Amino acid sequence: MSKKLSSSVPTDREVVLGILNNSDDALNKLYIGYFPMVLQFILNNNGDEDDAKDVYQEGIIVLYNKVKSGDFELSSKLKTYIYSVCRRIWLKKLAQQSKKTNNISDFEDIISTEVDIEDHEQKEEQFDKMQSALLNLGEPCKTIIQDFYLNNLSMQDISEKFGYTNTDNAKTQKYKCMQRLKKLFFQS
Amino acid sequence: MKNEMDLESIIEDYLNGKLSESELAAFEEMRAKDSAIDQKVIMHKAFLDSLKEYASETELRSKMNILHHEIDVESLSRKLGPHPSFIINIWRKNRAAIGVAASFVLLTLVMLYSIQQNTQQIGSVELVKRDLAILKNSNNSLIRKINSTAVTKNLKPANFGGTGFALTSNGYILTNLHVVDGADSVYVQDTQGNQYKVKVDMRDTQYDLAILKIIDESFKLPALPYRLKQGGIGIGEDVYTLGFPKDDAVYAKGYVSSKTGYSGNDSTQYQVSIDVNPGNSGGPLLDQNGNIVGVITAKLKLVDGATFAVKSKYIQEILNMIPNDSLGSPVKLTKKNSLQGLTKSRQAEKMQDFIFMVKVYK
Repeated sequence: MSKKLSSSVPTDREVVLGILNNSDDALNKLYIGYFPMVLQFILNNNGDEDDAKDVYQEGIIVLYNKVKSGDFELSSKLKTYIYSVCRRIWLKKLAQQSKKTNNISDFEDIISTEVDIEDHEQKEEQFDKMQSALLNLGEPCKTIIQDFYLNNLSMQDISEKFGYTNTDNAKTQKYKCMQRLKKLFFQS
Repeated sequence: MKNEMDLESIIEDYLNGKLSESELAAFEEMRAKDSAIDQKVIMHKAFLDSLKEYASETELRSKMNILHHEIDVESLSRKLGPHPSFIINIWRKNRAAIGVAASFVLLTLVMLYSIQQNTQQIGSVELVKRDLAILKNSNNSLIRKINSTAVTKNLKPANFGGTGFALTSNGYILTNLHVVDGADSVYVQDTQGNQYKVKVDMRDTQYDLAILKIIDESFKLPALPYRLKQGGIGIGEDVYTLGFPKDDAVYAKGYVSSKTGYSGNDSTQYQVSIDVNPGNSGGPLLDQNGNIVGVITAKLKLVDGATFAVKSKYIQEILNMIPNDSLGSPVKLTKKNSLQGLTKSRQAEKMQDFIFMVKVYK
């Protein structure tokens, strides 16, 4: 079985380069290649398929942030890194649910990932804040902000889309929306 | 407000590198002079960064969710998830502890072996079969003579004795092969003293097991209360047996001390710490719930409590080797276990009707 698994897993270098280039193909191979490993770990340690999905996706996000921040060195196998990160995340979740965390069944080697997990937790906090700020922002502000800042639409496109008579009106609206978003973000 | 808005739009252009060279120079000069503007630039950049991070993480999450649908999670979990069997889970979780225990037992066996080397007579395996002839003049044989004259026509005392237990309610009985090997005729006797002639239906030299069949077609037992345990049993679990080291059924209790047999790598047997005597051979080994986990086979001479039992799964194996039609009527093993939850003494009492003394004439 291990042979079959490893054949579908891309090489570590491929993955790292793929992440840096935003390659969908690399994400595809990475995601499908290592999921069984994490699923096995979670299922055998008090978790179900949904837990495995959540933990695994968080683990991949940690890897992405780490690689993109540029300080990812292939000092260990990528497999070991992913396993260790997901293991740490799951143990924390188990502890939060005050389920027992002794007698962990392990299937891979483990390395310390404490620092990365802490970084990730801070990022998640920002993520949640931004998510709730955007949610509370309401329409049309939310769409305007997303269109301008995330989808890189021009002010011209936006004023047409929302039916503003000129781009200046759209600009004013966008500015107001941005002020509100900042307020919501820093308040929470 | 108009000024603020213009400022922010300049900052955004600045951050996006959209300012012309002269504008850029002018803005940088302004930024260097006015720390409030500098502060605004830094703040705005940080905010835009977290907005972008939010966007890229949202995008990554949605890509992963799409990918997730391509994975056949269900069949993977069946393959990778914990085994439904409780025993195997225990094994997985306590592998290390069991390993330590097993190596300890292995060490003991090695030591045992070295003792054997020095004194040749010590430590050989003694098959727990009773030589009834030795008892010829004892009170026991007298009692049995009286018993047997009352019930059966067979007056001659048996040469050898062992124990067997019912595999089916229609007269299939399991015992050790060494109990019945080389016999001229074999009889079984139940706890009430009724004696039946049997034929040896199946011999298995590999596991030292034999299946006997009561010849009398009218023989019928109630439904079997016990069950053949399919999985293994762990070290340290309490077990008990009933056998015929004398002419009455004798109860003995102990625990599984190793998952391997005499030589340490004989995985077909358990080592059980239980006091048995000649005559216990072929007796059932039951766990606390009344499941049959093995068949008492042999014990170490001069070592107390080192008894070996063939694992129950090999009973199933030899049963499977016999084609059903050669058995006449199919061998059935009850799926239900009516002993579960009963106290040991109640279990033993119920068991008594299903164990037999095997009498062998050579």
